[in-house]
Amino acid sequence: MSTLDMNRPRPGRTALIYLLLSAVCIAVTNIYALFGHGVRSASMDYMFLYPLLMGAAPYLLLAVLLPRIRRRRFSRAAFNLYNSGIAALTTGAMLNGILEIAGTASTYQLLFVATGWIFVFIGFILLLIPEGKLKE
Amino acid sequence: MNRVRSFFGKPYRWAAMYGGILALAFAFVLLDAFVIPKAQVRVESPPMTAQPEVSEHGDSAGYIAPDAATDHTEKEDDNNADVEENPPVAPVITDTFYEDENISISIETARKNGTTFYVADILLSDASYLKTALAKNVFGRNIKQTTTAMAEEHQAIFAVNGDYYGFRDTGYVLRNGVSYRDNGNGDALAIDGGGNFSVVREGSASMESLVDGGAWQVFSFGPALVLDGEIVVDSGSEVGKSKTSNPRTAIGQVGEFHYIIIVSDGRSKESQGLSLLELAEEFAVRNCSIAYNLDGGGSSTMVFNGRTINNPTDGRRAGEREVSDIVYIGYE
Repeated sequence: MSTLDMNRPRPGRTALIYLLLSAVCIAVTNIYALFGHGVRSASMDYMFLYPLLMGAAPYLLLAVLLPRIRRRRFSRAAFNLYNSGIAALTTGAMLNGILEIAGTASTYQLLFVATGWIFVFIGFILLLIPEGKLKE
Repeated sequence: MNRVRSFFGKPYRWAAMYGGILALAFAFVLLDAFVIPKAQVRVESPPMTAQPEVSEHGDSAGYIAPDAATDHTEKEDDNNADVEENPPVAPVITDTFYEDENISISIETARKNGTTFYVADILLSDASYLKTALAKNVFGRNIKQTTTAMAEEHQAIFAVNGDYYGFRDTGYVLRNGVSYRDNGNGDALAIDGGGNFSVVREGSASMESLVDGGAWQVFSFGPALVLDGEIVVDSGSEVGKSKTSNPRTAIGQVGEFHYIIIVSDGRSKESQGLSLLELAEEFAVRNCSIAYNLDGGGSSTMVFNGRTINNPTDGRRAGEREVSDIVYIGYE
């Protein structure tokens, strides 16, 4: 999911990728539901919200509304961590959905949630600390 | 540190490595949940050797295994005097009926709501003939065998799948007086040493209190279908998040040593399956005072004299699913 040239962020393109990922999540959810004998999981039904609200929306905001920020230099690690966090949360939601639909659970699910939020948090903090301005 | 930064500084390296780790973790969790067997406790002694309190109709000494039960047609020369005075009665066995001096089972096939289901009416002389067994005689996660295989291993006259405890990490598990798991928060079915059913709320009633109260078997699936003769589910009730009719397995008690077990087909062109309400209605019309839903779907299997009675399917392929445990009627 980490697809940016971090020092020259292209938030518009990243937002588009996240939008596509949201669509893929919705498709996966509905295809999986075909084989679930009517059993659904809220966790899987709403997993598309992670790439949509935490991915596409903020990057779109970055691209459209905040052009000044676009010209700032950010650390690659910040974007890597933030995107990785979203990936972990989305994967965790899908895993949780599969297990819920099957009627079971796993203690390892928590690792995905914890890793996801920790990465998102650290990535977000690092994003607040720009490394400087990009050359015009 | 700089080398690490430099390595991950190249485009997509972090994404590739992290993606790989995430995929491996994802696969591991699925394997751990569905495939990797984790044996925890081996069943040490044959079940039902020391069942506690039994009613006045039975022999309170516990399990009785009459020779007649295992081979009713064979007479041995060294039988003792009692046996000579009271020779074992040969059981009457047909495709849908079994009767000997201790066990009577009749199986009716019915069709309603676009579904074929099978009703076993069971009368026992003693609660000790209502038994349970764990797959491979081991308690653990993903330890599985088919209901038919377990029934054969235990020489069961009749068997159905249990609660598939090994697919979950929660839910009380007490079998033949041995407590294997005591965490849970659902409705559990407790069967005491006298063969009487009750439904308890896990958490509210501790496993210890259940054992102290005489519980001999505890199943954790649910929900309860009938309590005090009243249906306690409605059309909106379902197992977990299941919203459709399904193959089902459920067990009910009519009176002392008198039980009804129903298994329904489902997920097929011939049978759509029963809702919990439809299932509960079948128990209610058969005068069950209490009935409880066991694991269903692809697990639902009824075995009688070594023959599978229903048409097990998970909706994708026909055939029995391996499960963790069975409820059975027999002598072994």
